[in-house]
Amino acid sequence: MRRFEYHRADTLEQASRLLTDLGDDTFLFNGGTDLLVEIRERLRRVRNVVDIKQIPGLSDITYDETRGLTFGALVTVGRLERLPLVCQRYPNLRAAFASLGSIQVRNRATVIGNVCRASPSADTIPPLMADGAFIHIYSRTNMRVVPLAEFFTGPGKTVLARGEIVTGITVPPAGDNTGKAYLKHGRRKAMELSTVGVAVSLCMDDGVCSDIRIALGAVGATVLRAPEAEAMLRGTRLDAATVKSAANKATEECTPISNVRASADYRRDMVGVLTGRAIKQALEAFA
Amino acid sequence: MNVTAPIEEREFKIVGKSVKRDDVLEKVTGEAEYTGDVKLPGMLHGKIKRAATAHARIKSIDVSKALAYPGVKAVLTHENVPRVLHYGSPHPRSASCTKDQYILDDKVRFWGEGVAAVAAISEEIADEALDLIEVEYEPLPAVFEPEDAAQPGAPLIHNVGPGGNLVLDPVRVNRGDIDAGFAQADFVLEGTFSGGRPHPAYMEPNVCIADWDGSNKLTFRTSTQTAFMVRGILAEVLGLPLTKVRVLVDHMGGGFGAKQDCFQHEFLCALLAKETRRPVKMEFTRHETFVAGRSRHPCKVWLKQGFKNDGTLVARDMKLVYDSGAYGSHGPGVTIVGTNAATSLYRCENVRLEGRCVYTNTPINGAFRGYGVVQSYYALDIQMDEAAERLGMDPAELKLKNVVRAGDIAPSGHPILGHGLEICLQHGIDVLDWKKLRNRDRTPDPKHPHISKGWGIGCEMHGSSAYPGIKEQGNATVKVNEDGTVTLLTGAAGLGTGAHTALAQIVAEELGVRFEDVGIIHGDTDVVPWDIGAFASHTTYLVGTAAKMAATKVRGAVLERAAMKLQVTPGEIDLSEGRIFVTAEPGRFMTVAEAMGPSRGIPAANIVANGTYEPTKSYSFAAHFTEVDVDTETGIVEVKRVIPVHDIGRVIHPIAAQGQIEGGIQQGIGHTLTEDYIIDKKTGRSLNAGLVDYKMPLSMDMPDIETIILEAAPDPGGPWGAKGVGEDPIIAIGPAIANAIHDAIGVRFHHYPITPEDILKALREKGA
Repeated sequence: MRRFEYHRADTLEQASRLLTDLGDDTFLFNGGTDLLVEIRERLRRVRNVVDIKQIPGLSDITYDETRGLTFGALVTVGRLERLPLVCQRYPNLRAAFASLGSIQVRNRATVIGNVCRASPSADTIPPLMADGAFIHIYSRTNMRVVPLAEFFTGPGKTVLARGEIVTGITVPPAGDNTGKAYLKHGRRKAMELSTVGVAVSLCMDDGVCSDIRIALGAVGATVLRAPEAEAMLRGTRLDAATVKSAANKATEECTPISNVRASADYRRDMVGVLTGRAIKQALEAFA
Repeated sequence: MNVTAPIEEREFKIVGKSVKRDDVLEKVTGEAEYTGDVKLPGMLHGKIKRAATAHARIKSIDVSKALAYPGVKAVLTHENVPRVLHYGSPHPRSASCTKDQYILDDKVRFWGEGVAAVAAISEEIADEALDLIEVEYEPLPAVFEPEDAAQPGAPLIHNVGPGGNLVLDPVRVNRGDIDAGFAQADFVLEGTFSGGRPHPAYMEPNVCIADWDGSNKLTFRTSTQTAFMVRGILAEVLGLPLTKVRVLVDHMGGGFGAKQDCFQHEFLCALLAKETRRPVKMEFTRHETFVAGRSRHPCKVWLKQGFKNDGTLVARDMKLVYDSGAYGSHGPGVTIVGTNAATSLYRCENVRLEGRCVYTNTPINGAFRGYGVVQSYYALDIQMDEAAERLGMDPAELKLKNVVRAGDIAPSGHPILGHGLEICLQHGIDVLDWKKLRNRDRTPDPKHPHISKGWGIGCEMHGSSAYPGIKEQGNATVKVNEDGTVTLLTGAAGLGTGAHTALAQIVAEELGVRFEDVGIIHGDTDVVPWDIGAFASHTTYLVGTAAKMAATKVRGAVLERAAMKLQVTPGEIDLSEGRIFVTAEPGRFMTVAEAMGPSRGIPAANIVANGTYEPTKSYSFAAHFTEVDVDTETGIVEVKRVIPVHDIGRVIHPIAAQGQIEGGIQQGIGHTLTEDYIIDKKTGRSLNAGLVDYKMPLSMDMPDIETIILEAAPDPGGPWGAKGVGEDPIIAIGPAIANAIHDAIGVRFHHYPITPEDILKALREKGA
């Protein structure tokens, strides 16, 4: 493993200042499950890491019926995965969290770390995006809130400026009229990166789909929404034929690449299959 | 011919029981010391600079910046290491046939080959120094496929060997009259098959530590299956007598055959330590275990067989081409074993086989569980399934009709004694009620209309010991201590299979002491008797017999001494559970400790005996029955159930044997469905050299396995009829899965791995 300098920040301000002052090749160090592997495998050049694990106030999880679910930057995937609220109200998040890495990794890794890594195949991003989550960003001059859908600018790239730190995520409340699903497609059942991931969050009012969001993972430079497919489904009763044509539409809205995990054509096919299956699974909430 | 050779029957006290392995607690608690755990005072860390080109001549190497880098103690290149041409495998003239390796050469033959080595005070500094070594290459045209490498005029990778990029002269096997055979055939099946490049991915990456002492003696710790072979090749290449090389290996995190090679890093580690006069450790990264370790030979198989309408197989014509990668390693052995294996499995009197092994500019392929046979039996078994389909027969019935039987000549050229394939197949058919399974209702479950279910059978046989390729020898020394405990000294490596436990069971059983009273000393070439290595599914069969022989001798000596003390003749006493008693008067006894210990006027006994065993070979057999679910929308194949029926002769430790079978199935499922080490065919670069994109099945991917072990066909060559089990399971599961997929969706696959994309593509072509 290549050598790097370790810095510990006790406040957000200090962490932010270190990020600015230490210059290029400085990264926040939180769970470290991705960063340390990248250093070890020489995938990322790192001179400095800034440990934020001692900063107070970033470990909270709150839920209320108007604001929804908010959790801080230090909240691990494992903690959320086991939270009864997540299991009951957000089966999509629960599925994504439970599919990330191993139990050991999930007990170190944070959801916000996975989000900020901005991998197109990150498991936590599609369901958070389909749920319309917001990101809370700290900087030394102001705080801002950005919709997750606007957070990513490319593979590994986000709107974060130097010195900005994500402090938390808010997921809108999960009402009784909502149905949610996340389906991950990989080469094996655990310890796997998504070949394709599809998240669907929908609202049903009197048997009619009043809203639906579809987010597609690992089939573009960032996690993508499928707006045209969504539009085809809104206002319908989500009958089999409509779902099928919308799923087909989703295959046209993604931009996958070919690599050792799968070909672009196969990924496109799976977007179609999984979109149909995810809608079906989301509707099971009303069965 | 029935089994007629005498196999001693007795009431077993320890053999056949799943006694607790003595290494379990230390492994579970993490206290077991592996080579990588060892830290010696003043130890340096070695790292290897690897080429980022597949075929090139080195024009120059500049190491001045690396040498000047603070903390770097030595840098080796082809310019300052001994230039000794050596074999790739440690079994000269059998597994290898041409010396084709230098420690470092002025030529690069595959992407990732080591071109220089650094020793530094930390792993980080050594790693950083690698970037400071400047290598200038003159690129050479490269070949990545055996077909291209075998073309006339293809760039030559070596200037030794038979030429034309052949690793050895083609292996040809002829039995009967092939033309007459095909003339009798009512129909002929012909097909081409191909296998990918699965990698063993053992848990413990290759690691070694070299340490020279003041007398110029090298102590070499390494994770190897063949400690004495490593000692021999290090001594040869370094120009030392065997007394000056001591190889140590304690616990190992697996090997699967691939840790029996002459590895470049082992020589470099020894030389760096010699140069610096300090201990040096070299430990592979996971990436390096792929690039610089050994994988299974990719193989292309052409198979043409003639059948009669009653299902009789009358002719078999087969050509195999194994891809050796850039060096010979075990290529010759694999080609010989894999090709010869095709004389058997399903009986056929007229056989013509040709096996080739070809160099390519890709990472080295070597020994790996199933040693060439995985490839040839995949083709043989699938084509037998196709013949059944053509005949409108149940494949179980056709396989049962054609499987080898007692009296048939084995691939090794001698008649097989313990013959069990027919029994395995029939047992599985009965247990599963196979006919009913075949004729089941195939309507899809309305809840899962996209799931197609299928059942398939795969058969295999595999030898214990590498005879006749290697004339093997197993050795054991047994000592009885004055407190009645027993020490077994063995050179057999402990890969993690539990082989040492089985050996201790055999000694305890034969000698008549408790299992807990037998201690094992292993893994020190200065102490234990010579050993050929742990491979070829032979440890229990080969070393087990040697240990039993040694135990018989010490038992005799113990009885003699006890007889003297009890004032009877040795014939009047017996030894059981650590007690020596007068047979006619069981109340008159003494313990082994009392017999061995000093008494007035008599010093303690020193009883030591060696056992040396030179076997031929036994064969183990298996039929695997498996059920798969094929998702016709995603192409994902899920193996749901496996019923492996094995005949392995006398079972020494049932749980360990079952563990071998389950592990082999896990590995075989991976090779058949997901695992393939991919080399870019344009550059020779590895595309998935790591566990991120090389996917082995994990516990969640595993089916229900209902292991059945029969003891129906013991071989007199093993202890109480025991045979090997290590390699068998990985051979049978592959064709079983491919046949089950055909049963599910009506599509034949002739290659592995069979990926979801392959399934979808085939279903579309079929117009489903």
